[in-house]
Amino acid sequence: MSNVLVDLSNAMAAAAEKAGASTVTVNARRRMPASGIAIAPDQILTANHVVEFDEGLTVALPDGTEIPATLAGRDPGSDLALLRLSQPKAQTAEPAQESRIGQLVLALGRPSAEGIEASLGVVSAVGGPVHTRHGGLDKYIRTDTTPFPGFSGGPLVDAEGRVVGLNTSGFGHGAAITIPAELAWKIGDQLAKHGTVKRGYLGIRGQGVEIPEAAQKALKRDQATGLLLVGVESDSPAQAAGLMVGDIIVAINGRPIFNHDELLAYLSSDAVGKPAPVEVLRGGQPQTLTVTIGARE
Amino acid sequence: MNPASLLNAALDDLLARVRPLLAVIQDGRRGAGAGILVGDGLALTNNHVVARGRSVRITLEDDGTYEARIAARDPEVDLALLHFPGGSGLPAAVFASGRPRPGEMVFAFGHPWGQRNVLTGGVLSAVASARTRRGKIPVLRTDARLAPGNSGGPLLNAAGEVIGLNAMIFGGDQGIAIPSSLILEFLEKARQDIPSRSIPEGVL
Repeated sequence: MSNVLVDLSNAMAAAAEKAGASTVTVNARRRMPASGIAIAPDQILTANHVVEFDEGLTVALPDGTEIPATLAGRDPGSDLALLRLSQPKAQTAEPAQESRIGQLVLALGRPSAEGIEASLGVVSAVGGPVHTRHGGLDKYIRTDTTPFPGFSGGPLVDAEGRVVGLNTSGFGHGAAITIPAELAWKIGDQLAKHGTVKRGYLGIRGQGVEIPEAAQKALKRDQATGLLLVGVESDSPAQAAGLMVGDIIVAINGRPIFNHDELLAYLSSDAVGKPAPVEVLRGGQPQTLTVTIGARE
Repeated sequence: MNPASLLNAALDDLLARVRPLLAVIQDGRRGAGAGILVGDGLALTNNHVVARGRSVRITLEDDGTYEARIAARDPEVDLALLHFPGGSGLPAAVFASGRPRPGEMVFAFGHPWGQRNVLTGGVLSAVASARTRRGKIPVLRTDARLAPGNSGGPLLNAAGEVIGLNAMIFGGDQGIAIPSSLILEFLEKARQDIPSRSIPEGVL
């Protein structure tokens, strides 16, 4: 019997099979194994919090082959870690271009040798930037899929079996979020090249403040808040650029800054080493300075 | 019709075919479980649903009520077969013969918390295993919501075929179902063990 329900069911099972071929088991902690996504034949992207050990790591491929792996790098800010396989035998996943609220998705995991595991849901929200304990995430996806034990590091996949993102419950409160594929792959590339993700450094301390109406008029846009500088470190990129205590940062490189989160998200991207225009309110008047973002040691 | 409407129509059709197969099983204790008709006056349920009761009562969708006796049981795989002579002309569930695929759509049908004929949907999450005294047995895991009262009810695939029998007893927070492969083995053995009954070949 063939009907639309059977067709949908077959499509979802096929998506699980396709993406499951590049979903691996990551053995890197004491309790149960977790999952990982092959982004290259010898590169496995997984969640940083499931990699408790630095040595003696193994990855099990879908066919059961267990391959020794080394830790190529970690990025606690995005809860991502990259493992390098001793043999380039993994099947590379296909990333999806975008995610839409309401689209059908499967969360996949392979926490045991018993096979691929799946949970159905929809994309509930796309948010960000958000401030995390060790940094920031530019963008994140929330779904109503069930994060089964060992699903961290596994993919969220669309109906075509493309990877929409990497699932992790490592940001606390037991809630799982998904790091969008584009962002996850980008961080994976940086970890493969440098073993770490460069984070930008300005050398300021600040707090969110309301922008008076008169100053908003001078700014020629409706922006209710900005980041008031309460400290500028000496010999810092901020000081070199001429930023002063009392300035209110309202934009950087054309992106509005309402509070810490937006600035952190900007500093966690490819900004390091590049000059960027910083728009500030000084004495109620807008002024643009150029700062060269430093690297956080 | 747009795809979502077609999907709803397909679900209506599935429900219409499966509703007459679903039974409420009571064994005199508080609460009830579910069961499915397998033809020739036989109904399948979980062993734990009828484990302690003496008199078993079967209620069908049309509110028809039957007294039943336990014809066979296997506590290790949590299955029991009930015989109720009044039900010999009733339809029988179709069991899936294909390999269960993680990610395929599944529907659980039962009476969670005593509410009758409740359908919950999800996907087959995993083909896993559970440890019993007899050794490892395969079990199906699903992300469809299950609650007490789903026990003994069918887990259906998108074609409305039975791929498993829901069994919260192995439970935890995730739904577990006994796969149709184990059910068919149990039914074949049970059929041999009921000398007084002759069930025609092909009827389960």
